[in-house]
Amino acid sequence: MKVLDRRRMILVNGVLLALLALSVVGCALLGPVRLDLSQALQDIFSANPDAEILFRARLPRILLGVAIGGGMAACGVVLQALLGNPLACPQMLGVSGGASLGGILGLILFPHWLLPIAGGLLGEISWVPLAAFLGALLSMMLVYRFSLFHGRLHPYHLLLSGVIFNSFVAAVIMFLNSIVDFYQAQGLLFWLMGSLSTRAYLTVAFIWAYIIVGFLWLWAKGLSLNLITLGEEAAMQLGVETVALQRQIFVASSLMIGAMVSVSGMIGFVGLMIPHVVRLIVGSDHRLLLPASFLAGGIFLCWADTLARILLAPAELPVGIITAFFGGPFFLFLLYREGSRKLAL
Amino acid sequence: MNRSQRILIVHCFVGSLSLLCGLNVVAQAATPAPRRIVSLAPSVTETIFALGFGNRLVGVTTYCDYPAEALKLPKIGGFMSPSLEAIVAKRPDVVIGVSSATDPVKAREMERLGLKVTLISLASLRDILNSIKSVARLLGSPDAGEKLVHKITKQFDEVKTRVAPAPRRSTLLAVGLQPLVAVGGKNFIDELITLAGGENIAGNAAQPWLNLPDEYVVAKAPQVIIEAGMGSERERSAKYWGDLKSIPAVKEQRVYAYPSDKILRPGPRVGEGLEEIARLVHPECFAASKRESNKGSGCEGSRP
Repeated sequence: MKVLDRRRMILVNGVLLALLALSVVGCALLGPVRLDLSQALQDIFSANPDAEILFRARLPRILLGVAIGGGMAACGVVLQALLGNPLACPQMLGVSGGASLGGILGLILFPHWLLPIAGGLLGEISWVPLAAFLGALLSMMLVYRFSLFHGRLHPYHLLLSGVIFNSFVAAVIMFLNSIVDFYQAQGLLFWLMGSLSTRAYLTVAFIWAYIIVGFLWLWAKGLSLNLITLGEEAAMQLGVETVALQRQIFVASSLMIGAMVSVSGMIGFVGLMIPHVVRLIVGSDHRLLLPASFLAGGIFLCWADTLARILLAPAELPVGIITAFFGGPFFLFLLYREGSRKLAL
Repeated sequence: MNRSQRILIVHCFVGSLSLLCGLNVVAQAATPAPRRIVSLAPSVTETIFALGFGNRLVGVTTYCDYPAEALKLPKIGGFMSPSLEAIVAKRPDVVIGVSSATDPVKAREMERLGLKVTLISLASLRDILNSIKSVARLLGSPDAGEKLVHKITKQFDEVKTRVAPAPRRSTLLAVGLQPLVAVGGKNFIDELITLAGGENIAGNAAQPWLNLPDEYVVAKAPQVIIEAGMGSERERSAKYWGDLKSIPAVKEQRVYAYPSDKILRPGPRVGEGLEEIARLVHPECFAASKRESNKGSGCEGSRP
């Protein structure tokens, strides 16, 4: 492991931050339709198509993509450390399944008489993400309860109960999908595949608030995370409060995942792959690995979503297809080149 | 039992057998119209009812909800997942499905079990009209088919002449907003939009249905937006488009909710559905109906 000093920290994160800024600008200028930048910036608040394309259709979406990509990657890093399993990813925790089920119930059972009230009270936040977030919270409590023995959170139980809860929920979702109306079923399928499409800056701000708080909380535990990868007992001997640490990581990452899935559905692969790629490049010191993964995840999802909008234009592809399609081979290439040398958690 | 009795019994048996066979031959020669029909799609069910043979249906899908009588018929499963057992149990003379939706493996299995399976294609308006005729022929009443097709083409022609003087309006037809799912090209609904005097903004897409990014809609600037499909309400679509004021349809308040499946279902109600969406695309061409003498003048000069 390379020694972590201030210079290296600033260098790696600085380069990634610059790349992220470039990506945001680049992705804002690219899309299935041409954008006249001078027209767009001339009068931001008038009803001018270029301004609407830039500020209404693209920018909120890109900002959301950066938050989700970063959040998923950061959660992937800590879950891989917490569960001691290189296959751990945000989709595994049960929370994502709970959020999907909540969102789908929200889509199907939307009480139509509530619309004027809900619309008035909540402004831009719509009902479906709210239902999804509620589902995430409930499933988090459920999975937590089943992984708790004698006041301790067991990583293996957490992994198993999360995976089993998710497959149970998947069955419930398939059941619901087969009893609803044909067109509603199509809508459910699109929602499940995940999309970053949004125009509500309020929703984006809500997600960023969750991601930033959760990320800082996890980052503060960076050193303890390094120790816990040595094994629970070793970490305890080195003075880490493992019981409290495990609980905090679980709650923080669950809240982040719940918020993310509730808005953008299941966007896979980012949380699994980005931590490994970044670990291969910068090493496995969590104090650097966490922010670097966050930035890399943001860059990756930002570009993946732009490709999703462009590749089959005018049709938009589910962004999960792009993340797996381009991420998978790249990851295998890195794995092949680096061998098992640096893959250790 | 003595010998003569035994011979008598055998003769009776053989006789009745041959009689049965004879009847069978006669029956096959005349191929009587099927009396027991199983429908594997809502549009097929509608077509059979519209032809006047609803009483011959012995099984329909859980999605068959029109006309109301269809709801009372025995169900054989979903549209994409009919139950083979339930179909066989209905002892149908013919099973009618849609080539794009019915699982070919299941269709072959039904044939292997001795059922007669007919799949119709409903990809375009021409297909829909042809399949009405072929179903009518199959049910032994080609005239009913010709009559129904004539009625629908008359509805098409009426709408065509009404909107003919008006310039085409660019139109977005969506079936869902979150995410935005629109009608693309190679879809009979795309043809309906054209007949209604509109021009589908996603008509050049290779897919019949597609997920459109918002920026594409802004760039294409549709003059009319129709959100079709059950469960679409006006407030929701108005709210969804509210902050994209540069779209002419939003600016001029031509965003409509059309909560009906008449145009979504490739069945005999497409003519009715066409008139209803034409009224949304070119309301001015229908407002002039009282002054029949100078028809068309209301919509000619109405270009925004």
